[in-house]
Amino acid sequence: MAHLLEVKNLRTEFKLDSGVVQAVDDVSYYIDEGEIVGLVGESGCGKSVTQLSVLQLIAMPPGRIVGGQALFEGVDLLQFPPESDRVRAVRGGKIGIIFQEPMTSLNPVLTIGQQIRESLMLHLKMDRGTAEARAIELLKQVGIPDAAERSDHYPHQFSGGMRQRVMIAMAMSCSPKLLIADEPTTAVDVTTQAQLLELLKDTVERLHTSLLIVTHNLGVVARYAQRIYVMYAGRIVESGSAKAIFGETAHPYTVGLLKSVPRLDAPTGRQLVPIEGLPPSLINRPPQCAFLPRCSRRVEKCFQEPWPSLRFVGEGHQVSCFVDLKEKPLELSVGPRRAGAPAGEGGVTPETEPGRRRSTGQPRETLLKVQDLHMHFPVTKGLLRRKVADIKAVDGVSFQLERGETLGLVGESGCGKTTTGRCVLRLYEPTAGEIRFEGQAIGHLPKRQVRPYRQKMQLIFQDPYSSLDPRQSAGDIVGEPLKIHHLVKSQGEYRDRVAELFRMVGLNPGLGDRVPHEFSGGQRQRIGIARALACNPSFIVCDEPISALDVSIQAQIINLLEELRYRLNLTYLFIAHDLSVVRHLSDRVAVMYLGRIVEMCDCESLYENPLHPYTRALLSAIPIPDPAVEEKRAQIILLQGEVPSLLTPPTGCPFHPRCPMALQECSEVIPPLREIDEGHQVACIRA
Amino acid sequence: MTTLAASLDAFGDVPPRVSSWRRFWRVFIGRRVVILGAAIILLLLFVALTANFISPYDPYQQNLRNALQQPSAAHLLGTDALGRDTLSRVIYGSRTSLAVGLIATAIGGLIGMTLGLLAGYFGGLVNTLIMRFTDALMAIPMLILALAIGAALGGGLTNVIISLGIAIIPTYARLMCGQVMAVREEDYVKAGEVIGGSDLRIMVMHVLPNSLSPLIVLATLNLGAAILAEAGLSFLGLGIDPPGAAWGAMVSDGYRYLPTNPVLSFAPGFCVMLVVLAFNLVGDGLRDALDPRLRGTL
Repeated sequence: MAHLLEVKNLRTEFKLDSGVVQAVDDVSYYIDEGEIVGLVGESGCGKSVTQLSVLQLIAMPPGRIVGGQALFEGVDLLQFPPESDRVRAVRGGKIGIIFQEPMTSLNPVLTIGQQIRESLMLHLKMDRGTAEARAIELLKQVGIPDAAERSDHYPHQFSGGMRQRVMIAMAMSCSPKLLIADEPTTAVDVTTQAQLLELLKDTVERLHTSLLIVTHNLGVVARYAQRIYVMYAGRIVESGSAKAIFGETAHPYTVGLLKSVPRLDAPTGRQLVPIEGLPPSLINRPPQCAFLPRCSRRVEKCFQEPWPSLRFVGEGHQVSCFVDLKEKPLELSVGPRRAGAPAGEGGVTPETEPGRRRSTGQPRETLLKVQDLHMHFPVTKGLLRRKVADIKAVDGVSFQLERGETLGLVGESGCGKTTTGRCVLRLYEPTAGEIRFEGQAIGHLPKRQVRPYRQKMQLIFQDPYSSLDPRQSAGDIVGEPLKIHHLVKSQGEYRDRVAELFRMVGLNPGLGDRVPHEFSGGQRQRIGIARALACNPSFIVCDEPISALDVSIQAQIINLLEELRYRLNLTYLFIAHDLSVVRHLSDRVAVMYLGRIVEMCDCESLYENPLHPYTRALLSAIPIPDPAVEEKRAQIILLQGEVPSLLTPPTGCPFHPRCPMALQECSEVIPPLREIDEGHQVACIRA
Repeated sequence: MTTLAASLDAFGDVPPRVSSWRRFWRVFIGRRVVILGAAIILLLLFVALTANFISPYDPYQQNLRNALQQPSAAHLLGTDALGRDTLSRVIYGSRTSLAVGLIATAIGGLIGMTLGLLAGYFGGLVNTLIMRFTDALMAIPMLILALAIGAALGGGLTNVIISLGIAIIPTYARLMCGQVMAVREEDYVKAGEVIGGSDLRIMVMHVLPNSLSPLIVLATLNLGAAILAEAGLSFLGLGIDPPGAAWGAMVSDGYRYLPTNPVLSFAPGFCVMLVVLAFNLVGDGLRDALDPRLRGTL
């Protein structure tokens, strides 16, 4: 049987001043009718360019499709010019596309109804009335409430998740044979991600459409894809059925990816093994395997011969590697994490005594105590800036942290976790409530008196791109706190300390005179960490420090943070939207929803025995990168709807409109956080 | 520590790097047009400084019998209605005009930027006070404003410079304020706060350098406008006292003779254009040379 889409030996190049970028290098793959296929790779590996090349949507010049075929229903699309009618009929007609950023892929000045109609009238030659009716029907199918009314709304009136639904409706409008979803869920929350993926799966199953999911998230493809292609540096390095890829992983890169992601189902002692180094530049690449510099399995042959072509290692399972991993299988999950020497490849060897934490009968010292914290932002209106409402970003949050402990703060975007972190650091003055740091009340101190505490409390930012001053050199950035707090006496001492900080985070001190844009994302995050460590803080708020990084780099940063914690006896407030990352790093976890903590307990009990329905939904929404585990998992608890606006929070329990267990009572009273087990607090009347 | 060595290795060797000063120069003079602009500016400065030596005649010496002569070997650019040598007046005029342009732009720019920085950084009441003040100034056209200030202070070179300087404050304040408000929201400014930096330090070290690019461009454009505005003031009797030579005044004096002696207006006008062009080119080069995103690539 002929394949629906078969791409053969596709090559795409970009000509830049600095050289030729081989973005897609001899890529072949196929998709059959009704199949769900995953294409996995890190940013810059060429997975999106491959898709855009097939549809001839890349900018030409500087881009150029150098060779290959893209057979769609047996006809090579690449033989037609990009603007020909044949290609246009396929693009958006027979092949639908969903892009990553729903913010930028919808036209902000047209209503969503108009945008769906446009495609219907263009491809299916419908008249206006029919197209309108069809557009509303499509919106209903993707679960947009009040579809008829909402079709007259503009994109900015929809949330990110809703916009992505609109994109799906638009892509499905002409009943395409193939749907290409390019990172469809990267910009949305976990619960929304689960909703969208289920919607995509249902839609393609119902209409017997093929689906190609392009993603960096192995979990996403494990749950849904039947076959998987793994890309690295413009090439497909491994392909096969989902079971083969996860069960009999054959390429060292795929192995590395699997070992570097934190998993919900892994034993707690599991140490993440990062892939060291950085993804290669695709400019004027040497002929050898591009993964070679980062590969832990390299042999002499790899250096001498060009990149091997794909070979079969099993039924439909291909790999591009000389080394046979089956002969030397890799042990997934290594020794205990909390004790013993971790890999230490982030640059430092932590000096840990086994079992130092918790079990030692030392008296616990409370470092930070937050009591009934409120942070309200006024909403003003009109010329006189009259206050019309409050956004209650943080609405009564209490927790405490012992020295050396890590508390994970988890929730969807907009739940107030970042605001909480910034209040604790006194970047905002809280509306009400108290913050005690080392026993001192700092919640309402004037700005000048907070400054001495800045030495002891630090922040690691989410976005390593915007958190470093682009005009300062890396050395100046790291050294600035030393100057501010007069921590060094001489120029020589300053230089030594900056170099020491660089080494501490695994950076070469020789890079100190470079400016941030000369570093990669992971390296920038290291600079940010070095800056935070400069004045020997005891407490650090980590505000989603890895969510902007590539998968293989995330593990490096997680390990670095973990090692630094032991070595410097740091206390972390670790903010994240990802429960699997939090689980890896935290001693205790607090789950936030709409400005309140809904559940707080020991890390282990939260994952083994989640009591709040929101926590359960969050946990169930996270895909596990292993199809065998995914099959056994219970039905996913899909949350309905979206996080309500903070301007009009629901009455009673803030979660009750989305809660599968809600009772009449829930809409009336706000349940207080109460202790169920020792150290396990839940704000739910049904727990 | 072997692990450390391994990880450093993973981040690659450190290639030799040029110092930031050399890099600055390399970018700055790397483009021909920037060198051209710099050369024009240097030439004009040279002319202004050596006017006494290089001008062929006394620019103030009247000779009514020789009035309104066409360009000739004796008078390369002809003479004006009072028989003064145009070339000499253009040469002397460069002193006045460059002084007016540079100093007025510097005064207005510095005050405007400072006000904009304060307004944008502190926001709230400070912002309201400063920005409403600049709004009020902005409601009045630049020339009218300079005229009003000039009328209060009287004529003369110093007062022309002061009144023009004040007149261009609001443009800078407004632009700077907008820039600062955008930069202020960046995480690295928050980071400056987290590490305990004072407001002054954050403003000077982080906010100011990152807000400056469009202001450099504005300043280079404003320079020409200031030189021409001096002509307007002179025309209305509030500018340079006669018989002082200034390009703007010469343009406006010469316009009556445009059909017969176009060179009277064209020569100083061309000089103004040359100044604006040269400063624009240099300003562009300066902005690029200071842009960290181009570091390492050039």
